[in-house]
Amino acid sequence: MSASTIEVPQGDAPQGRVAVAAPMPDVLPPMRRIGGVVGFLRRNPTIAVGGFLLLLMIGVAVFAPFLGTVDPTALSPARRTREPSAMYWFGTDMLGRDVYSRVLYGARVSLIVGFSVALIASVIGLAIGLVSGFVRWLDWFVMRVMDGLMSIPPILLAIALAAATRGSVQNVIFAITVAEIPRVARLVRGVVLSLREQPYVDAAITTGTRVPVIMWRHILPNTLAPMTVQATYICASAMIVEAILSFIGAGTPPTTPSWGNIMAEGRALWQVKPYIVFFPAIFLSITVLAVNLLGDGLRDMLDPRMAKRV
Amino acid sequence: MDRRGFLKATAAAGALGGLGSGRLASPALAQGAAARTLRFVPQANLANFDPVWGTQYVVRNAGALVWDTLYGVDDKLEPQRQMVEGEEVSQDGLTWTFRLRPGLKFHDGEPVLAKDVVASLNRWSARDSMGQMIRAIQNEVAAVDDRTFVWKLKSPYPKMKFALGKTNSPFGIVMPERIAKTDPFSQITEYVGSGPMRFKRDEWVPGAKAVFEKFAGYVPRDEPGNWLAGGKRMLVDRVEWVIMPDTATASAALQNGEVDWWENPISDIIPTLKRNRNIAVDIADPLGNIGVFRMNHLHPPFNDVRARRAILMATSQEDYMAAIVGDDAALWKPLPSFFTPNTPLYTEAGGEIMKGPRRLDEAKRLLQESGYKGEPIVMLVAQDQPITKAQGDVAADMLKKIGVNVDYVATDWGTVGQRRASKALPSQGGWHIFFTWFGGADCINPAPNNGVRAGGDTAWWGWPNSPECEALRNEWFAAPDLAAEKAVMARYNKALMDFAIYNPTGFFLAYQAWRKNVSGVVKGPLPFFWGVSKS
Amino acid sequence: MFAYILRRLIATIPVMLVVAAVVFMMVYASGNPAALLAGDQATPEDIARIEHALGYDRPKIQQFVEWLWRVMQGDLGTSVFTNLPVTTMIAQRIEPTVSLMLVTLVLSVGVAVPMGVVAAWKAGTWIDRAIMVIAVLGFSVPVFVVGYILAWVFALQLDWFPVQGYTPLSEGFIPFISNLILPAIALGGVYIALIARITRATMLEVLQQDYVRTARAKGVGQREILFVHALKNAAIPIVTVIGIGIALLIGGAVVTESVFAIPGLGRLTVDAILRRDFPVIQGVVLMFSFVYVIINLLIDLSYSLFDPRIRY
Repeated sequence: MSASTIEVPQGDAPQGRVAVAAPMPDVLPPMRRIGGVVGFLRRNPTIAVGGFLLLLMIGVAVFAPFLGTVDPTALSPARRTREPSAMYWFGTDMLGRDVYSRVLYGARVSLIVGFSVALIASVIGLAIGLVSGFVRWLDWFVMRVMDGLMSIPPILLAIALAAATRGSVQNVIFAITVAEIPRVARLVRGVVLSLREQPYVDAAITTGTRVPVIMWRHILPNTLAPMTVQATYICASAMIVEAILSFIGAGTPPTTPSWGNIMAEGRALWQVKPYIVFFPAIFLSITVLAVNLLGDGLRDMLDPRMAKRV
Repeated sequence: MDRRGFLKATAAAGALGGLGSGRLASPALAQGAAARTLRFVPQANLANFDPVWGTQYVVRNAGALVWDTLYGVDDKLEPQRQMVEGEEVSQDGLTWTFRLRPGLKFHDGEPVLAKDVVASLNRWSARDSMGQMIRAIQNEVAAVDDRTFVWKLKSPYPKMKFALGKTNSPFGIVMPERIAKTDPFSQITEYVGSGPMRFKRDEWVPGAKAVFEKFAGYVPRDEPGNWLAGGKRMLVDRVEWVIMPDTATASAALQNGEVDWWENPISDIIPTLKRNRNIAVDIADPLGNIGVFRMNHLHPPFNDVRARRAILMATSQEDYMAAIVGDDAALWKPLPSFFTPNTPLYTEAGGEIMKGPRRLDEAKRLLQESGYKGEPIVMLVAQDQPITKAQGDVAADMLKKIGVNVDYVATDWGTVGQRRASKALPSQGGWHIFFTWFGGADCINPAPNNGVRAGGDTAWWGWPNSPECEALRNEWFAAPDLAAEKAVMARYNKALMDFAIYNPTGFFLAYQAWRKNVSGVVKGPLPFFWGVSKS
Repeated sequence: MFAYILRRLIATIPVMLVVAAVVFMMVYASGNPAALLAGDQATPEDIARIEHALGYDRPKIQQFVEWLWRVMQGDLGTSVFTNLPVTTMIAQRIEPTVSLMLVTLVLSVGVAVPMGVVAAWKAGTWIDRAIMVIAVLGFSVPVFVVGYILAWVFALQLDWFPVQGYTPLSEGFIPFISNLILPAIALGGVYIALIARITRATMLEVLQQDYVRTARAKGVGQREILFVHALKNAAIPIVTVIGIGIALLIGGAVVTESVFAIPGLGRLTVDAILRRDFPVIQGVVLMFSFVYVIINLLIDLSYSLFDPRIRY
């Protein structure tokens, strides 16, 4: 018997049943209940695994200088394209830079881009969603703009923006953020609109409670859960888009070692020196996987209703 | 029999089905037709097709198939008659009379007339640097009759035939008068030439494919084909350019036999290609290329010769070359010069500053003497060109070592092209350094060599201004014979070095690779398709 | 129905206007290609001349309005690089991209829906977990990494498929499909993950419904319950996600086409963006957005197919 069916009430409340029907990919089986952090993690193995991997990557990023790395940008053309060895754990690239050091430092860029985009897109999206949900006369206009942005495929929009601004981590964050904002805004607006119909919110409005207070007391707490989940997915997608941008040549500056850049530079040699692409690809995949797992776990925990969506 | 051939045979025997069969059944072309079609991977996308308007090498290379030239250089870089049957120069050297050879025909069936040539020369001379020199001293260029035209000058121009037959772009192509009347700064829209191949505009997919078809009406010269000179005899019916932006894909396609000839494989992939028994590998162009680290002479610190010389002093060409060509030492040469090695006018005079162990401390001191105090140095690096990217990455490292605060502007070739035209302060949209490379064919002598022009505003990007260097350049133009030319060249190269007009990062060769069933591929500054056949 | 379609079509106009404005602004903010066009030996005067010839020296608003006016007449302008009409360039590239997307679509739906159904049916078992692990991996491994691995294994080592290129359907189905199968798998990864997950989630929901229990009680076979009764009722969310995923496909196609050298719209777009070929960028993004909007309209309309209660 598994978690997904265990708690299904046998009564006649189809909504409630639907709600808990699909705690999505709890990829690992849960254990019996224990209290405390350990218990929490054992009950939410998806969060545990995702969180562990992510912490590992954050550790790598923060402590990169102390993990046996050298200057990731130091060239040494005389020692180029060395295979992985005891001396160069992940080998060297076409300019003789140490791939191990580059990959470790590259974690910083991916994580910074992922987290920044998630945070900024959430905050701005939240603001837009709230305004749009409350200020009805603005709603039509704002939502048309959001629809317009959303109908441009996000990668395309990000590439175009990054190509237009070009050349720095900030600009990459900006480009991906713009592409992600509408998704948050729509989500928040949806929550606001449905909450406005709730009797207690309605009551608060009619009794003349000021809008900021309503937002703070009633709306924000209810948007937090779905937004957190959304933010993790945005984080994961931002990391992939960053890699794609660099891969295409419109991403972070090449002086900054990022996984996308390392792969982009290595791809010409991919047939003969596959390790240059291989190592950053694995790190990127693991990190994105970690964030995705964390998102799945959070979704199941915070908002069981969302489990039925993707 | 290779693996695929074996599989094919097996498939023919009806023994194979399933997934494999899709692969095996794919070559829809009949054996004969396939042998008449040459599939070529060019160095870059053919994004536009006006060899006078667009100066990229790839446009020139495609243009050489479609348009014919009055003269053409051979592998000794001597201009030989091509469309011209004969020419006559007046005693004073002021009047050139040219006669076209008979039977020249455009792809639309019209004959090539002198008026077409005149219109074409007018369009070309507006855009080409040698053309502009001629234009500056011309009285007129005019048709005399259908096959004869004259070029009347105010002062002699001994390099006339070279100007009309050189390989560097824009080169002197001939198109019909109605097309040649297009403004030289607008693109032509009809691609009608009189060359050995006709451009299939309906099959042109920029970024993916360009197709050329043998022109039946082309009458090649009797001499054997030799670069742009001699008989351009096409031995295939169709040449298909397959654009592949990704070197990994291109190398896989060549190994799989999906393409026949690859213009610019990167050197790291060469050992793999050499191991493949069906692939031949050779140097593409013996004249090679010269890496260029260009400095802006208008703004500090590089308006001071000491700062520029500090760069030359610190430059380890070995590093730049390793980054560009890889581990193969046979592919590059140190270049304490601004001219192409192994050509008659090559000289290393004055190049001592680039020789011997690098003196980083001295360079650092010299840079400080010039007044540099750690201001950001704006360096434009095109990321989409492996050669510029490699140079930029090495330069960033080198500059750091001599105490330069580098502002590395990672961008694409298009933006470099745009921004390097700006004379603004580097902090306000201008620049200090950018990178490019010159084809060796463009540096065989001072005439086509853009990098050494030093006329200030009229000079190439960076606007070096050195009356002394310009005077020596003019002295070379006036030099009557090779010995005199060589004497001037030694002094000229030294002056350029002392002036540190730009920083040559080395001389390097590139490979080309083709399937062994293709024969007749020659080395040259551009891929020559005439004389190439496929079995 | 027609009134509804008409209303929806009219509603797309402001959306498309926003798209047009956004595209126009960001591209123009990034500079213009005149200097690049002018080449190595051009003087600033030459560049100014080219700018003038191309109209880049006029006020931006004027350029935008003029451009919009022409677009409405079906004229997307001329590429500044190739001198070809943008509509021609798009037309040349449309077949490979549409083929790639259709093959990916068929492949993904064909793989992902059964995956999701089985996962829901076997919910909680190791099969479910395995499928969901595959799904989450599909989200996490970048498309170009998958592409290169596939090309290396199946094209270079095993020699089953061509490494690159595109063969039109007119030259036969087998060559056509053998060129597209690897790119479609690479591109389909995310899509499969997405569809498998939504299928599983909706199926789990549907399987709890009374009519499914009734069917089961009546002795209807498991397979029939899953694939006929349940799946039909789970169709709407699945189809919706397929529509939303088109945006993912378009984005992924940009990369996939580069890896496999497919001469499609994705590569056209990247080339144009890197070269600042404004008319092409504007045309392509406009078209992609339009397609996206239309596909989502079609998907809304298709709801009535799956659920007769829905009428427009």
